[in-house]
Formats: sequence, structure tokens, C-alpha cells
Amino acid sequence: MATARLTHLTYWYPGAALPALHDVSLAIGEGVTLVAGPSGGGKSTLLRVLNGLVPHFHGGRIAGSAEVAGLNIIATPTRLLARSVGFVFQDPELQGVYDTVKREVAFGLENTGVRSGGMHALVDEALVESGAEHLANRRLRTLSGGERQRVALASVLAMHPRLVVLDEPTSQLDPEGASLVLSVVSRLAARGRAVVISEHRLERLRTLADSLIVVDGGSVASHEAAAWRQPQIDAPPPRLAPPGPEAWSLTNVSAGFAGRAVVDRVDVAGRRGEVVAFSGPNGGGKTTLLRTIAGTLAPLAGKVERRPGRIAYLPQNPTALLHRPTVRSEVELTLGRSGGAENPEKILAALGLLAVAARYPRDLSTGERQRAALAAVLPGHPDLVLLDEPTRGMDPAARTALIKLVADLRDAGCAVVLATHDSHLRNALADRVATVEGGKVTELHTVRA
Amino acid sequence: MNARAVAAWSGACIFIALFTTNPAYRALVLAAAFTTLAASVGLARMRRMLVGAALIATVDVLLNFVSAHLGRTVLFALPDAVPALGGPYTLEALAFGVSNALTIAAAIFAAASFSLLLESHDVMDALPNVLSRTGTAIAASLNLVPSIVASFAEVSEAQRFRGWRPRGPRSWAEVIVPVVLTSAESSIQLAESMEARGFASAPRTSYERPRLDRSGWLVVAMSGLAVAGFVAAHAAGWAADWDAYPSLVAPRVDLPAAASCLLLFAPVVVWRRRV
Repeated sequence: MATARLTHLTYWYPGAALPALHDVSLAIGEGVTLVAGPSGGGKSTLLRVLNGLVPHFHGGRIAGSAEVAGLNIIATPTRLLARSVGFVFQDPELQGVYDTVKREVAFGLENTGVRSGGMHALVDEALVESGAEHLANRRLRTLSGGERQRVALASVLAMHPRLVVLDEPTSQLDPEGASLVLSVVSRLAARGRAVVISEHRLERLRTLADSLIVVDGGSVASHEAAAWRQPQIDAPPPRLAPPGPEAWSLTNVSAGFAGRAVVDRVDVAGRRGEVVAFSGPNGGGKTTLLRTIAGTLAPLAGKVERRPGRIAYLPQNPTALLHRPTVRSEVELTLGRSGGAENPEKILAALGLLAVAARYPRDLSTGERQRAALAAVLPGHPDLVLLDEPTRGMDPAARTALIKLVADLRDAGCAVVLATHDSHLRNALADRVATVEGGKVTELHTVRA
Repeated sequence: MNARAVAAWSGACIFIALFTTNPAYRALVLAAAFTTLAASVGLARMRRMLVGAALIATVDVLLNFVSAHLGRTVLFALPDAVPALGGPYTLEALAFGVSNALTIAAAIFAAASFSLLLESHDVMDALPNVLSRTGTAIAASLNLVPSIVASFAEVSEAQRFRGWRPRGPRSWAEVIVPVVLTSAESSIQLAESMEARGFASAPRTSYERPRLDRSGWLVVAMSGLAVAGFVAAHAAGWAADWDAYPSLVAPRVDLPAAASCLLLFAPVVVWRRRV
């Protein structure tokens, strides 16, 4: 019997002329259901229907019917559906209510009025089930991203939901953190829970999935998980010219905050027309290195050198940049400031943003926002490009577009530095890869000469 | 540590510091608050608060010294023609400012006990049921403050790379607007997360119901005695008030009132090294 069932469901966000979901009918049973599809296609909206955040939290109009664990989703408030549906969001930083792990896991139980006597056992059990029992006495702020997502998972499992929904839970995690979360998903499915998980990087997940749903343009199609093939990322364009002279260098550099070194005695350099990638776990020091190269963080020791010229910098939270009324005006702002004579349509087209160019950037999906932020920083012929996790939340088509764009910048003589967990991006673009771990560059190797 | 015991002690400190005008008792309360925090959490964790309290107290003293041209002991004088600053500068005005600064510093240290001695969930657990949901929502919002501060630095950096330069108040809109929008979105995301975990779906229970142990009761009792003793002493004329004007006199110290203030040192023994 299906745990959740949607029948001819159509949903419009407030003020939207077109529906975000259109005539969706599907049934979700036990095991892992994978939700795939392009950015902005409606995946997150579909997931939010399952616990009633759509329409109860977001408003808008809804037609058709939806039920989960025997409850009518449209007539039941989210806070009551929470007993049957657990939801884990993308960003582990923004889900925490309490400051200690045990209390965080107990939050849902406290809300639903579970007596304190029974609560301890439920919390302990959920921590074991999510593989987070060793974190029980830690403070949330001391956990890595992967650990925090495990705690978020424990928080929903403690409530014994019939259905667990995860919205791109690994998009902000390093490979190890992602593995931690996916191993829990696998264990949950093995124990007969219904799990719905939305992701862009499906390589490892397809083997776990019992069924697969593709959401595109608000429409839903079911596929055989084993037979379905994800759109591939195109091969990168070949290099047109060899790298030029040195563009930036760090010599014996230590850098950090409040006198505490996050990176210690690092030696690394990059040339014009070369792509250097920093890889390594969350918290290893990649962002600190980028900021040191950019000059926004003064080194505690050592020497930083850069050729003069314009720097394009994509921060880790790129959407924080966006404040103009449209995506196009974000691009025009940067072009106006840099004195560039480019047509804004060029970069909008390159990143597949023409269709949303007139929209408010913060109304876009996570992947589309990421592209909008790239479009906002990259135009104007930069000399040095620093990109911090540029493919976060991006679908294969957008990643292909980004690779082509960065390759064009490289061929135009721009020095590029990437901080990324994305192995596809590294393989496609990096001339050299530096592994940054524990504040040290533990490995530096040349991929292509 | 029990939040109700901390609240009782903190409330007693603030009450006495505000109730009396005598700087000797204010200084005793300040000493009790400072020593309690220093013994419980150590000076290193108090560093920022110490700097802040010192700054506020100094501003208060200077403001009074510069603006209150009262008192008989004139230290120096500026011509009356100097706008806002002209007039005699007196020892009495300085002493009055110092006395007020003692109250402010005592209140800051006493109130800081909530953030230094307690976790946010300790405070939430101690709230009566009727305030439980509001308290939880406020505590959850406060958890966002560090990310908002970080977002400000990140946005201003990123906008500089897009060519932004701070040129007058209007130019700051390019930093302030994204920070405010990001903060609002973070709050909405947190609210979504709380809703998705059943917030406000039923009367809340608590993972750990706070109970006053013997040491907690002792602190509550001592705090209550301190307040009652001080009020009684004041009523009986054994806790004399003080005024700096018109000419400076030393504050009178009466034993019953001083003994009441000394009761506020009880947590120094009870809470020592417990945080």
C-alpha cells in the first residue's frame, strides 16, 4: 500500500500565472524513491507537498488531492503532518533550534507532547538509527556539515514518521559527509521505511533507489531506477593556448581569524590561463585560501602576490549577492561597474538564464540562483576568477554551461581558482589540484600540463 | 545550573542596584556579580563583556561630568560661550556619574549571567508553559545571529569585487539590502524547519524538566533574603541613600544593608567551576 499518494495535483505559488506542479499523479511506497530533474523543475515544491509546507506554509492555490499516511495533506496543517512525515532540508546550518545535539533531536518530540520519561529512549534510538550516537553530547556549532545533516535526520527519525523526505541533503557536503548521509538512507530503506530523496548527483543513489521520479516543468514522470540514465555532462572544450606567466602566488602563507591560523604555511601559485582547484573536506581551509588570494583576508605570515587586474569572486553563499529586481539587472550592475561593453544577454544565454532574466533572482530555485550569482560576478573580463563551490545545487546542463564558461575565461588568459567538492568539475577543468585538509595543502598534483 | 536560581540571583542584584542610590552598596552588588561570573566561567570568557561594560560605564561618567554643571567643588571651567560644553566641571558631577556607572555595570554583569551561565534551552525549560512557544521561537531566532553577522562580512566583500565602494549612507544599501534579505530568508527557512517538526502542534513537553537542587534552593533563598533584608534595612533607616549634590560627602555604610548585599556572594561558593 502506498505511503503517500497524489492525484491530479496542480499547484500555483502566490501570484504565479503558471503552476509549479501540473496534474501530478503518483504513489510512493516503502524503500527509496529518487526525485530527479533540472533546477527549477519543481522538485522542491513536490517534496514540500508531501509534508504540507506547500500549500500551508507557502500559500498559493492547489487543486486535486494528496494524502500521506492516510491524512489529507490539503486539509491537515504541516505541524500535524509532522508526526507522519519527517523532512530534512538542504542547508544544515538553518535547521538547528537548540544548541546541543540531544536537545535538537528531542525538539520534535517536545512539540508533539511526548512525555519526558519516554523521550530519552526515543532520542537515543534515533541517534543510533542515524549513526549519530557518538555525537550525542556535542554542541551543534562544533559539528561538520555531514554530522549536522545526520543530526537533522535523527531529529525527524525520533518522531517515527512513516515517510522521510530529504531535499538535496548532500548538496553542501564534502564526499565524506555525503557518504555519511547516504549510508543512513540506505539503512532506513533496508528497515522498510519510505524515503524520498531529491538530488542532482545520482551516481551512487541510483543503486539504492527502488523507484525514480523525474520532475521537469512541473510535470512528473516515473521511471525504472536501474534503467534511467541521467543527462551527461559534456566533455570540456579543448584548451586553445598554454598557460601564461604567474598570476598569483602564496609563499609560506598562514592565514585565519582573530590570530588563529586556519591554513598554515601554504605554498601554491597559479598562472594566467590556468585553472587550479582546491579540494578537500568541509572546514579544511579552502575558502580561507580563496579569500587570502583575493586579498580580503590579510595573511598572518608569508607573502601573497597577485598581478593587478579585476577579480571576480563567487562566495560560498552566492545568493547573498543578489539584491536587484531582475537577474538581468544584476548582470548590468557588474558590467556598468567594470566598464565592460559586453551584451548582458551573452552571459545570460551562456548560463541558460534567458528564460528567467526578467525574474526576481531570489524567487528562483537554488540551482538557478547559483547560476544567477555566477552571471552577476563573471562578466566584465576579469583577470582572476575565484569560485567557491560554484556547482552547488546545479543540474548537469548547468554544470556543462559553467564548464564551458570557465574554459572560455581560461582561454582568454584569465587565472581561475576553484574550491570544490565536485569531482566532475575538477576533472573537466583543473590543470592542477591542491588537496587542502586540516589547514595544509597535503597534495598538489598536475592533471594536465 | 538551574535557570530559575540564576534568574532569582540576577533579579536580586539588579533590584538592589536600582533600589539604592548609595554607591557603597552598588559597589558591593557589582563586586558580587563580577566575582560570581569570574568564579563560574573565568575571566577569559568575560573579556568582551568587560570591555563593553567598561565602555558604557565610561561614557556614562563622561556624559554626566560634561553635562551636569552642578556641585560646589569646581575642578575647572569652560567659558559659558562654548555651546553644550561651557560651564563649571565639578567633583560632585564626576562622583554622581561614577555612582550611576556602578549601577549600570552591576546590571550588565547580573543580566549577563543568563548568557554566560546558561544554555538557551535552560532558559526555555524554565519558562512557564504559557511562554514556552514564544521562548522557543525567540531562542531559535537568536541562533541565527552569528550567521547574520557572518553574512554581513561576506556580502560586503563580494560587493566590493563587483565594484561597490562605500560612498555615503545610500551606497550601503547594496550591502544592507542583501544582508536583510538573506536574514529574512534564513528566518523563513528556520520557521519552515520548526513547522515541519511539529512546532505549536500540541502543548509542549520538555526533554529535561528543570528541578531546583539543594544548591539552587540555597541561591534562591539567599537572593530572596538579600532583597527582603535590604528593603527592611532601608525602611528602618539602616540603608541610607546618598546624593552627590550640592557638596560631596562620603556614603554612609550600615551593617544590616551591607550584610544583605553580601548574601549575593553566595553563588561564588555554590556555582564555582560548574560551567
